[in-house]
Amino acid sequence: MKKTASPILVFIIFLFFSCSSDNYVEDPIEEIPEVSPVNFDITAVPYATLSEYNFYQGAMSNLNPVYGVVPYDLITPLFTDYAHKKRFIWMPNNVKANYVSDSEIFNFPIGTMIIKNFYYDNVQPNNETKILETRVLIKKSDGWVFAEYIWNEDQTEAVLDMTGRNVPIAWTQNGETKSVNYRIPSQFECLTCHKSAGLKIPIGPKPQNINTNFDYTEGPKNQLTKWEEMGYLDSNYPSSITTTVKWDDPSQPLDLRMRSYFDSNCAHCHVTNGHCDYRPIRLSFNESSNPINLGICVEPQEDISLWLDVNPTHIIAPGDIENSVIYHRMNTTEDAIKMPLMGRSLVHEEAINLVVEWINSLPNTCQ
Amino acid sequence: MKKITFCLFAILGITNFTLAQVSFTSQSIATTGQYSICAVDMNGDYLDDIVSVSATNIQIFYQNLDGTFAETNITTTPADYLPSWSIAAGDLTGNGHNDLLYGGGSGVTFMIANGDGTAYTEVSGPEFVFSQRSNFVDINNDGHLDAFVCHDVAPNVYYINDGLGNLTFNQGGIGDYPSGGHYGSLWVDYNNDGDIDMFMAKCGGEPARRTNQLFKNNGDGTFTNVAVEAGLDDLIQTWSAAVGDFDNDGHMDMLVGASSFADGGHKLMRNNGDGTFSDVTAGSGFDIFNGTSVEHATYDFNNDGYLDIFGNSNSVFINNGDFTFTLVAVPFSGAAVGDFNNDGSLDTFRNGTIFYNTGNANNWITINTQGVQSNLNGIGARIEVYSALGTQIRDVRSGEGFKYMSSLNTHFGIGLDTQIDQIIIRWPSGIVDVIENPQINASFLAIEGEHILGTNDQTISTVSLFPNPTNDQLNINYKGALIGSIATIYDVSGRSIHSEIIKDNSINVKNLSAGTYFLNLNVEGKSTTLRFIKK
Repeated sequence: MKKTASPILVFIIFLFFSCSSDNYVEDPIEEIPEVSPVNFDITAVPYATLSEYNFYQGAMSNLNPVYGVVPYDLITPLFTDYAHKKRFIWMPNNVKANYVSDSEIFNFPIGTMIIKNFYYDNVQPNNETKILETRVLIKKSDGWVFAEYIWNEDQTEAVLDMTGRNVPIAWTQNGETKSVNYRIPSQFECLTCHKSAGLKIPIGPKPQNINTNFDYTEGPKNQLTKWEEMGYLDSNYPSSITTTVKWDDPSQPLDLRMRSYFDSNCAHCHVTNGHCDYRPIRLSFNESSNPINLGICVEPQEDISLWLDVNPTHIIAPGDIENSVIYHRMNTTEDAIKMPLMGRSLVHEEAINLVVEWINSLPNTCQ
Repeated sequence: MKKITFCLFAILGITNFTLAQVSFTSQSIATTGQYSICAVDMNGDYLDDIVSVSATNIQIFYQNLDGTFAETNITTTPADYLPSWSIAAGDLTGNGHNDLLYGGGSGVTFMIANGDGTAYTEVSGPEFVFSQRSNFVDINNDGHLDAFVCHDVAPNVYYINDGLGNLTFNQGGIGDYPSGGHYGSLWVDYNNDGDIDMFMAKCGGEPARRTNQLFKNNGDGTFTNVAVEAGLDDLIQTWSAAVGDFDNDGHMDMLVGASSFADGGHKLMRNNGDGTFSDVTAGSGFDIFNGTSVEHATYDFNNDGYLDIFGNSNSVFINNGDFTFTLVAVPFSGAAVGDFNNDGSLDTFRNGTIFYNTGNANNWITINTQGVQSNLNGIGARIEVYSALGTQIRDVRSGEGFKYMSSLNTHFGIGLDTQIDQIIIRWPSGIVDVIENPQINASFLAIEGEHILGTNDQTISTVSLFPNPTNDQLNINYKGALIGSIATIYDVSGRSIHSEIIKDNSINVKNLSAGTYFLNLNVEGKSTTLRFIKK
């Protein structure tokens, strides 16, 4: 399917042809598809500044995408100290991604750019929105490239910087003021999670994570359908996809919420060829239906009792959070034992509620 | 993590029931820091102190001579990085007060002690470092202690010290895998060539990332990974190794400890003495031990003259001396090791509890090293102890196992031996001290260059040997009077094998077997030692 044009452009084209020619032009929408104004030179990216890509129109800090820069969302995101995220994807003309499996990253074409903006609302003292960083993953012929852009104080530009930085920030949410020394990752931290057998990879855009509606400007639509309409996704994907659920949707089954959370927050390392694949758990959504992969009644290999008042007996002990390593590792900010080991310096309180509820719901006890 | 195998007790316990066992009694100590993982002398009196740190405080319990402690709290500026992953101690400035290294998850902080140890200056680099094991070691052998930090997700980093505590950050040259996998750096002279090498325990990711490495010191500040030649290029998922001479043959062996059995179990490796290692795991006890650990270190807990091994599975493996080990359950799991009541048996400390070794009738000696040309701590020195039971060797090391910092005093049990014939200390500077018949059941303060085989005398620094290597004859080039002097040849293990009075400025070495030797000359009341190679 061809890329559809915006109504404004259609109108302009219509005026152009109406005013300058007497020839009747049949269906200009079909004949002249809109061109994305994104500036992409594969030999020159990553650019030194974010503005060079021309991802956004108007004031850059509005993150209002130009045509071709398609917003998307993950059903359950990674927790990064309560930062909000706006995600976009862009591809060059005439290339598209292919479905691999429900649980694997799409096979993206060369030239794909995946854009993720991190920001906070109600940032103190002025109660304003503040964008901290934009991460761009670019697929080149020899693999993915990381580009980390750090926003300036004026929110007018973001500059390529791969060295990492700490940014103290305070904000209010739900009437409560929170603060954190927010960590903008260095290239080494990016690679820790974004790798498989040492090769750089994206993490989020898998069919299972995006097979849901998104509120586009033209209205809600399934993200896969939208990508297909944009020419970004080959139509050759199955009609039925095993899909994660929103981790914080109480109408969903508890175990699916927990497994969805584990997938987004843990599975990039706890997966074969991941950073921690030598540990006995496998937390991908497609692997975690097996209780052993979740660590239920599996004895831990690492002693974390130095940091606790207890010495937990299992990675997950049904009905017994104190004896469950996973609970303690999620419920701490101590670097040596916290999980995930990067990407957060606060405890995700709402996720603790979830893991407590879930562990307490598990039947039986370990032998 | 913690499974004590009953069949192990059954198999090994019965055959070795006569062994001196170990037992510990626990006593709490009021540490307040979040990180209570360090136990080392901090004030230069060679009594091991207890150190507990938090972001703005260094709490030190200085050990008194009577085994009690005097508590001090030193406020610091907030540390940018905390020792979540490891802590190390060493004296960067050589002022007699140890400095600390905090290995954090996103950087490294140094706490530099002032002249009397009453205040510390925080130095934190801007560089991102996902620290794992950290060490103080004189990497470039300039006499000043440097610092090394394993990087989990990038090439390793090290900090070169100008001698005043000014540190220059370096990344590259000693373990450069782009995505890291560097967990445990154990500095050891594995080939007895007098300079310090390093075993790198690796873990995680693709095979290339987690293949263990052995960095041979080229003697010029560079290192070459020789793990393949040495037979140590294992894929074991390991965070640390216990490195020591387990059979007292004069060569450093290794237990490469598994943190996970995903890619192989614990591996006990015997140093063959020719730069290679052989797998002697089968039948050792480690082949049937199903506990995993990130901590592995080696100490002689029962003072029987053989290094024992401990990890964090609440167990100590008592060394039977023949590459078999007997598991003994202990009440601690991963700990800092030192002598916290100065009774000659090694105790442990973790998190507010001291585990005192109840000791036994075996004899012992503790060597406290004080470098002069070399770094003040004597880190990197090789110590050899000769007694009836054999030769024992240790390297003075800052940063054992994975996380903890243990004593820098070098402790030897000698079993029921009542005499130590000789101690040889080979300092990083090349100076060799030989101490004859030291008092046992006591600490011995070894000051670099004070005992016999010093090379530090200026008046005879112009001595040289030629040809070197040599076949038959070793000629001594010296402009002063030499005839009538005493020349003694030592082998690499420090044994005197030939002595003569010099008659014509040359020595016949035709009958020596091929290898490296040391020639000590006693000239005009001065002593110098030179290395030569017999072809």
